[in-house]
Amino acid sequence: MVTLAPMPEPTVTPSAAPRPVAVAPAAPANPAARAVIEIDDVDFNYGAARALHDITLNIPERQVTAFIGPSGCGKSTLLRCLNRMNDLIDGARVSAGQIRIDGVDINDPRVDIIELRKRVGMVFQKSNPFPKSIYENITYGLRIQGQKSKARLDEVVERSLRGAALWDEVKDRLHESALGMSGGQQQRLCIARAIAVEPEIILMDEPCSALDPIATAKVEELIHELKKQFTIVIVTHNMQQAARCSDRTAFFYLGKLVEYADTRTIFMNPANPQTEAYVSGRFG
Amino acid sequence: MSATTENQPLPRLATREVLLRKRRGWFFGMTGDQVVKYLFQGNAAVSIIVLGLITFTIFKDAVGFIPMNHANLAVYRLAGLEYVDLYREQVTAHSTMSRYLADIRARQLDILMQQEGLTAAAAMARLAAFDDFANKFADTINEQETLLGTMSDLVTAVKERQKVAEDLMVARQNLLGGMQGAAPDRAAQLQKDAAAIQIEVIDFKAEIQPVLALRPELVAANASQIAAMREIAAQAPKFADAELSRRMGKFQGFVQGYFKEVEVIAGRMAAWDQAKPIGWLEAFNAFAFGRKWVTASFWQDWYGIIPLLSGSLLIAFLALLIALPLGVAAAIYVNQVARPAEQKFIKPYIEFISAIPSVVLGFFGIAMLGETLRRVSQIPALDWVPGFPMAERLNATTAACLLALMAIPTIFSLAEDAINNVPRSFKEASFALGATRLQTIIHITVPAALSGIMAAILLGFGRVVGETMVVLLCAGNRIQTPDLASGLGVIFQPVHTMTGIIAQEMGEVVRNSIHYRALFMVGVVLFLISLLINWLAQKIVRRYRISIG
Amino acid sequence: MKATTTAQAIYGRPTSAKRIETGVFWLLRLCTYFVLLCAAFIFWDIGAKGGAVIFKSSAPFINVPFLTEAPETLNVFDYQGGKRTMGDRAFRQFKAEHEAELKGVPVETYVYSAGGIFPNIAGTVLLVLGSMLIALVLGVLSAIYLSEYATDGPFIRFLRLAIINLAGVPSIVFGLFGFGLFVIAFDFGVSLLAGWLTLAFMVLPVIITASEEALKAVPKGYREASLALGATKLQTIRNNVLPYALPGILTSSVLAIARVAGETAPMMFTAAFVMRDELPWQVQRWTEFVFQGVMALPYHIYVVASKIPQNEYTRDVQYGTAFVFLFTVAAIAMTAVILRQRLRKKYQW
Repeated sequence: MVTLAPMPEPTVTPSAAPRPVAVAPAAPANPAARAVIEIDDVDFNYGAARALHDITLNIPERQVTAFIGPSGCGKSTLLRCLNRMNDLIDGARVSAGQIRIDGVDINDPRVDIIELRKRVGMVFQKSNPFPKSIYENITYGLRIQGQKSKARLDEVVERSLRGAALWDEVKDRLHESALGMSGGQQQRLCIARAIAVEPEIILMDEPCSALDPIATAKVEELIHELKKQFTIVIVTHNMQQAARCSDRTAFFYLGKLVEYADTRTIFMNPANPQTEAYVSGRFG
Repeated sequence: MSATTENQPLPRLATREVLLRKRRGWFFGMTGDQVVKYLFQGNAAVSIIVLGLITFTIFKDAVGFIPMNHANLAVYRLAGLEYVDLYREQVTAHSTMSRYLADIRARQLDILMQQEGLTAAAAMARLAAFDDFANKFADTINEQETLLGTMSDLVTAVKERQKVAEDLMVARQNLLGGMQGAAPDRAAQLQKDAAAIQIEVIDFKAEIQPVLALRPELVAANASQIAAMREIAAQAPKFADAELSRRMGKFQGFVQGYFKEVEVIAGRMAAWDQAKPIGWLEAFNAFAFGRKWVTASFWQDWYGIIPLLSGSLLIAFLALLIALPLGVAAAIYVNQVARPAEQKFIKPYIEFISAIPSVVLGFFGIAMLGETLRRVSQIPALDWVPGFPMAERLNATTAACLLALMAIPTIFSLAEDAINNVPRSFKEASFALGATRLQTIIHITVPAALSGIMAAILLGFGRVVGETMVVLLCAGNRIQTPDLASGLGVIFQPVHTMTGIIAQEMGEVVRNSIHYRALFMVGVVLFLISLLINWLAQKIVRRYRISIG
Repeated sequence: MKATTTAQAIYGRPTSAKRIETGVFWLLRLCTYFVLLCAAFIFWDIGAKGGAVIFKSSAPFINVPFLTEAPETLNVFDYQGGKRTMGDRAFRQFKAEHEAELKGVPVETYVYSAGGIFPNIAGTVLLVLGSMLIALVLGVLSAIYLSEYATDGPFIRFLRLAIINLAGVPSIVFGLFGFGLFVIAFDFGVSLLAGWLTLAFMVLPVIITASEEALKAVPKGYREASLALGATKLQTIRNNVLPYALPGILTSSVLAIARVAGETAPMMFTAAFVMRDELPWQVQRWTEFVFQGVMALPYHIYVVASKIPQNEYTRDVQYGTAFVFLFTVAAIAMTAVILRQRLRKKYQW
């Protein structure tokens, strides 16, 4: 047998000095907005390991809610609970509490998961257009629902691409492969694909983590536009992004919801010292 | 649906309504997706079912072997064949001595002609005295041979009658079996036919009496034989040549040994008990540890797996001995040493070798390799190699060479995978400490991949043991346990294998006969070996994952 | 001892460690190329000797009768001072015409040494196509279950165990199984159907493993995106998993074809006849079609290689058959290997 020397720890570049965070939400959050998603005392398990403890929060309609927190804090897990994407993982389950959308418990066995996912769209961290044409990507959701009318599909493609601010860039190459687009365009295509099925809620799982700043800015602009129509929940690593484009922010740490408030409050005047430490860049 | 209605967006239902809409249970209350899932699952279960069916089919036909072999051995004893075989040992021992004498004569002839330069006629003349001696010696067994012949005739006649009786029994059962569902008049006819069959019930106890009655004659014959042999052995010719006189001395030893053996055999024959029952274990052991595989014999059929198993194992070990260094060397070379261009060429090439059909390899062995190997073995300069020159062109080594070629791709690709899975960081750490590439390979890469390589070897072994066509065509197909006494030369003996015997004899056996079932027993052994190898390989691989992870 | 500077050490002279390394690497290289050479020699031997049978120096450059006729017995006899060789049918006609002259002339016969191997080719193709069809359907569906639906549990563990063990079962045991179950218990007789099922079950684990690998190589994102758009699992598999896995599945299956075609042991008990006068499609009803035995190339090679004595007349048919078989299988396998390399390059998600 070979005995191997212990591998050296990877050296970590210490994070830069606390960054000043610019918080400038366009309008103060509307406190009267109806809560479209109600998360009520939710515990979540991966097998025996508990990933979320006792989460309670309400997500208001037609606003952007950001989930922030260090890696592994459970923010993506919670997001994936909202359209039951976690069902794909063996042994993953909501072990206590309820998640209600429009008052319906989505984990109720009577709930049709397909309908749920049509209502709750999702955009993933890594842009994942299908290796098909742009047109086919957008119309995929409708086609599998049985929509065959060419006129209707064309209309939806244009509307969705316009909605995703992509129409002018791609209208001449709708039938080319989506894989030929740039990273930012691919991610906006994924957003367009999600809104093509007319969901009420769009979940975004770190949508900009693989994008350059310019593409990121475009997606953020898009999020601003989209919230007029959709309820958006976004998971992000990037605090500036949360500050720039969300109305409300939830900070998670070690599977617990530490603080949930207006974005302005979270960044300017956090109630919890952990939140303050995180948003000022002292850890995470 | 008309276009106008389609163009209008569907009226949007409230989420609440949509989510709780009753699901479409259209197949025994299951949704389409569930039905599809069970469909796929059912399909996947086919593998389990097939494995179960294989197990069931071959075991079903194999288990019948034990009772049949039990009956086979019972008749062997009851009819007295066993008794006669005891006596046959004595005759065989005697003829072995005669053959030894013939061997001495051949050597002496060689010496006379080669060293003393005598002509054939002159040499023969010089050997006349020896020949006289040898002939006299050979004649001392005549009486025993006659007696053996008499006894053989008696017992085979009984066995023959027993066989006829058994066949008639089967025929009657078939007739009676045919009655079910037959028309009444036909059934009556069948019953009449069945009743008409006369089955002899053989009284083995009575039948054996004439054979046992010969015992006084046997004793007398032995006594006179021993006396004659003593006398003849005392007059044995002497040789000037040291080697030959050593052999003559050995011969005298054989004669003394023979006298003792005669006594032992006589004792065993006296103790032989016709009525002693055959145990079930004995019927099984005759297969599992039997050293004879004799079928379709007029005398007695034996179904012992040892010659086949040992042949299979001999070939497999030889093949691995060749394939292992080559396969592992190639894996190390390709993964660690070769340039990318070389890798791109060698890997598909070796993968491609595995696509050569085994029957083509076997044909190549018959048409080309066997003869080539024999020619090589006949080169005088290679006489020092044990077993050279080869007696047969088709032997264990011929088959093993080709099997090695078949096992190399398996060993290569699995070993290469194992080496490839060694984390890069191990290697880099070694390089960073100033080790050369070779040192890294020897001390880091190969040890870390060792369990993967071991699994590769096991699976290669499995492939070789289970291979049929190459051994069937090239192993020589002589049913004989490889004679380890001949030293390393054993690898050039023709052998038979488990796979080969099934392929060769399956086509010719009577269905459900004992021979048929014996072949299924061999199949069971092969099956169990393959399971064992798989289990071991899995175990090794699992441990290896943990050690890396 | 003179101390060496770092610079001297770096540019250093060959040390003994380096020389050993070079030596060992050469040894490894030698072993590798020895294996390649051995295989190349087999190809060369069968290619050269078999090629001489198949290819002709004059138009049409290919020995057409060898590829289009059925095997026949070869008759060799002296006629008008020269040796004449003739297939059975030609000989009968010739004998009728020259009865007087042939009286008393000794005729040597060699079975299967005249004519061609067409029925064998046809039988092999039928066997391979049928068994691959069965194996692909069963295998791909099983792989979809394993890769898309299965959740860890006793059933799945048992299933994987069964697949692994099935892959290790020797082909002759599959032959016994097919013979015991299909030929005898199900009373299919020695037939295409029995051969198809036996061979299909034999390659099933190969196809399942390869297909599962191909399915697993499709990025998870495609599945998630599709499901998130409200597609059902089946829609997702059909539209967004299977199409991308298909090339991988097919190329691996092509390699399995080579294996099916090459396994002689199982087919010799279940499907292959030594000699049969009718061609497979010369049947009255389709049921007869699946219940008929066929002649097959690998079995023919076995028969001509082992049963008939070796001599100049049989050599042609032996090498010719081996040539056709080896190079067909090799071509199939080569296509698969090359395609696979291309695909690996193309689909790097």
